[in-house]
Amino acid sequence: MRNKLIFSLVGILVLAYGGLITMLATGTEPALGLDLQGGISVTQRPKPGTEWSQASLDLAVEKIRERVDSLGVAEPEILRQGDTIVVNLPGVKNQQQAEDLVQVTGQVWLRPVLSACQVLPDPEDLVAPTESSTPTSDSTESTTPTESTAPSTTSGSGGPSRGTPTTTTPDTSEPTDTTSPGSTTPATSEPTDSSVPDDTVPEGVYDEWGLPIVGNPDSTEYRRLIGDPAQVCVVGPQQGTGEVFDDNAGAQIINGGWAVVVSLKGGAKGEDVWNALVAQCYDRMSTCPTGQLAIELDGVLQSAPTVQARRFDGEVQITGDFSEGEARTLARVLNSGSLPVQLQLESVQNVSPTLGKDSLRAAWISGLVGVGLVLVFMVLYYRMLGTIVALGITVSASILYAVVSLLSKTQGLALSLSGIAGTIVSVGVTVDSYVVFFERLKDEVRAGRTMRNSAQRGFAGAWRTIVIADLVSLIGAFVLWYMTVGAVRGFAFFLGLSTLCDLLVAYFFTRPMVLLIARTKWMERRKVMGIEVASAGGAA
Amino acid sequence: MTAIDDDAIDTLAGDLVRERRGLGGRLYHGETAIDFYGRRWWGLGASALLLLLTVGSLVWSGLNLSIDFEGGVVWTVPSTSLTEDQARELISDEGLDGDRAKVQILTNQDTGFRTVEVQVEAQSDEVRREVQQAFADEVGVTADEVSTTSVSSTWGETITRKALLALFTFMVLVALFIAWRLEWRMAYAAIVAMLHDVLLSVGVYSLFGFLVTPATVVAFLTILGFSLYDTIVVFDKVQENQRRYSGARIPYADVMNVSMNQVLMRSLNTSVAAVLPVLSLLVLGSGILGAVTLREFALALLVGLLIGSYSSIFVASPLVALAKEREPKFKSLRDRHATGAELERLVHGALPSGRREAKLKTGDESKIAVAAALTPEAVLTHTPRPRKKKRR
Repeated sequence: MRNKLIFSLVGILVLAYGGLITMLATGTEPALGLDLQGGISVTQRPKPGTEWSQASLDLAVEKIRERVDSLGVAEPEILRQGDTIVVNLPGVKNQQQAEDLVQVTGQVWLRPVLSACQVLPDPEDLVAPTESSTPTSDSTESTTPTESTAPSTTSGSGGPSRGTPTTTTPDTSEPTDTTSPGSTTPATSEPTDSSVPDDTVPEGVYDEWGLPIVGNPDSTEYRRLIGDPAQVCVVGPQQGTGEVFDDNAGAQIINGGWAVVVSLKGGAKGEDVWNALVAQCYDRMSTCPTGQLAIELDGVLQSAPTVQARRFDGEVQITGDFSEGEARTLARVLNSGSLPVQLQLESVQNVSPTLGKDSLRAAWISGLVGVGLVLVFMVLYYRMLGTIVALGITVSASILYAVVSLLSKTQGLALSLSGIAGTIVSVGVTVDSYVVFFERLKDEVRAGRTMRNSAQRGFAGAWRTIVIADLVSLIGAFVLWYMTVGAVRGFAFFLGLSTLCDLLVAYFFTRPMVLLIARTKWMERRKVMGIEVASAGGAA
Repeated sequence: MTAIDDDAIDTLAGDLVRERRGLGGRLYHGETAIDFYGRRWWGLGASALLLLLTVGSLVWSGLNLSIDFEGGVVWTVPSTSLTEDQARELISDEGLDGDRAKVQILTNQDTGFRTVEVQVEAQSDEVRREVQQAFADEVGVTADEVSTTSVSSTWGETITRKALLALFTFMVLVALFIAWRLEWRMAYAAIVAMLHDVLLSVGVYSLFGFLVTPATVVAFLTILGFSLYDTIVVFDKVQENQRRYSGARIPYADVMNVSMNQVLMRSLNTSVAAVLPVLSLLVLGSGILGAVTLREFALALLVGLLIGSYSSIFVASPLVALAKEREPKFKSLRDRHATGAELERLVHGALPSGRREAKLKTGDESKIAVAAALTPEAVLTHTPRPRKKKRR
């Protein structure tokens, strides 16, 4: 027991101070946000002389935001200034990196799907694909004799083929809610196209997102696409762009489900390209063996409907188990793709901080003074135990500093004023863990227990409280981090980080520290906490 | 033994168990016996009043949103010398709010070409032209070289929508979690208290017309997190006492009062610890060191933290008590609850067992007997042992 305590204490001290020293020695510092240190500002403008729609410019802004957010936790600033898009990036060192980050094409590609798409519940599950590739909702089976593998259905309409086989098929377009990931769907819907071998997935090759790379992501022959939820499809080279459509895509309710309806441009630029492509899929030719057609925007799979007709006259319907939001999003993507904006880089500039050095200095000084005051208060109130708080705070601070520095370097994390403020408030929560513990300890001691016994019982009670309260914060931090963008995301990140740190320090530092001190003889006699430790006689 | 007069016990208890201390001393030693429950309507009433005021203010004057939310107009001035302060001054001279303007200096990495961007909320064409001319005069170029463009918000609709959706999800998840680990009444009370805290903090902004920036939104979120955290810590204590007394017929109000008194010192200490750094930010940072941007931000946090600590005890807990009292188990006991000396005894009795023995001077057996008799709760300081399951 004693050895374990010492081990955990030494472990965390080495970890915290070691981390801090490493960071200081290697000169790794936390990067500062746009408001405090400025950054790089990249301005993009639609290519002069080209046509583009307002919708596609809006979408481009959104896509840039998604891209920037997916690569780091910094708080970028993205705005439209007239027709230009300005992206301000904190913590980005060189121009090339900034340019790469913000470039989106806005192009919608149409690609045949070469092997059935797989939902990725977990990167681990991918290496050995076990389940039947596409989970199908039960209703599909009965209504569609022809197809049940389809994640969604495209059907020609508007022409004579109004009554094409399965316009009504309401099946899973993106198997989000109906199928829990990882559950093995009964193989009833085993695709007819079993000719496509699943072993095209090479083992153990992962990309930077932890997803396996299928084929070579750079070649146009095979592409790995990520959708939402993550799906991996092996797709062929693009055979058409979103420009085959008119920009009139809209979400509608068709036969009780949400669907997207869009019309085709006439002639060589629209219908001809589209029909040439769908014919391959409808006939399950070797170029499109699954009969599915992937719609991709900037490397992300938007939808992969199964083609339900050989020829389309004028209008295309994409049906499936869409929610209203999903249908509207897809419609927006199609509209934007029909007249994609071609952005060109106008300028890359350094941008000055909005708050400036004075604010930063003031925040640091007053923050440190504030923490100092808290420590003085703790020592006055808890005497000897208060010094443990002081030591504990340095451990927490070292861990935070090391982690933030490391992430600044590797992930482009940048500390903005809101991050600093979040950290300052987290001092309160961190100190609370000690307060909860010490108050319990005092109760136990007052009840006449020995110091040693009290420390153990006190921690057991306090730990329960700390875990419940911190778990709530962690849930909050995770949800906010996962679901939001920009400043809120940055805040959530720091909240989560400091909460984890709090749990770590409470268990691996405070617990062994107090338990070990409580074992010493010296402690039994002293007025250590500002209350009389039941002059040992009472408790025996 | 059974014939001992109640009053006699009180006096005895007073003499015997502890010397009476001042409020500070009682707080310090965890011996307060404040009847929180009896004053529940004070807290709820005050909160209702403040909420009303907040809603009124929000409807009446709304929030003063910064250009980050609303977009506006930007002048781009090419100049090698124009400083941020000069730009602000010029804006103020033109009758606009110079302090609220967002001024950034851009330098081209390759050419070193320097421009100053000054952004304010949307303006009429006339004002745009006037300011454009003023800038041109200031730096000595023609008006054409100073460009004027409309600028979108950096905090777009999508961000707000996503944040709201995330908040909603977060509340549902947290409510489920609390319902699972504690109980659903506490989940509802915690969420209500959290909304109360955030709404009141927003109210301060609306009432005083402070500028709401993205940093402010983050401050509100911080408050939300702290409020929830604080409430959970208090509820955890209530839950613990609930189990402790689960075998006794005791009004819920007493359970609540005992818990509040036990947790009071923790709440005060934590509030002090949380408020000190923020106060330092406010007084030292913005007051003495003059970082004005920090002021409103720190003020929001300060108000939020104080309200957060207050609401855990004065809003969330009464709500739980009110809901809990409807339960069949507590219904019949609803009208009674311990106050004064009786409550004091309960608070003492709820300490981990062993207290009275420790406090007693040894050698006086009769007093020990009395002390043992005067707190029937003493037997209940542990959770009643659950019935053993029959072995098969």
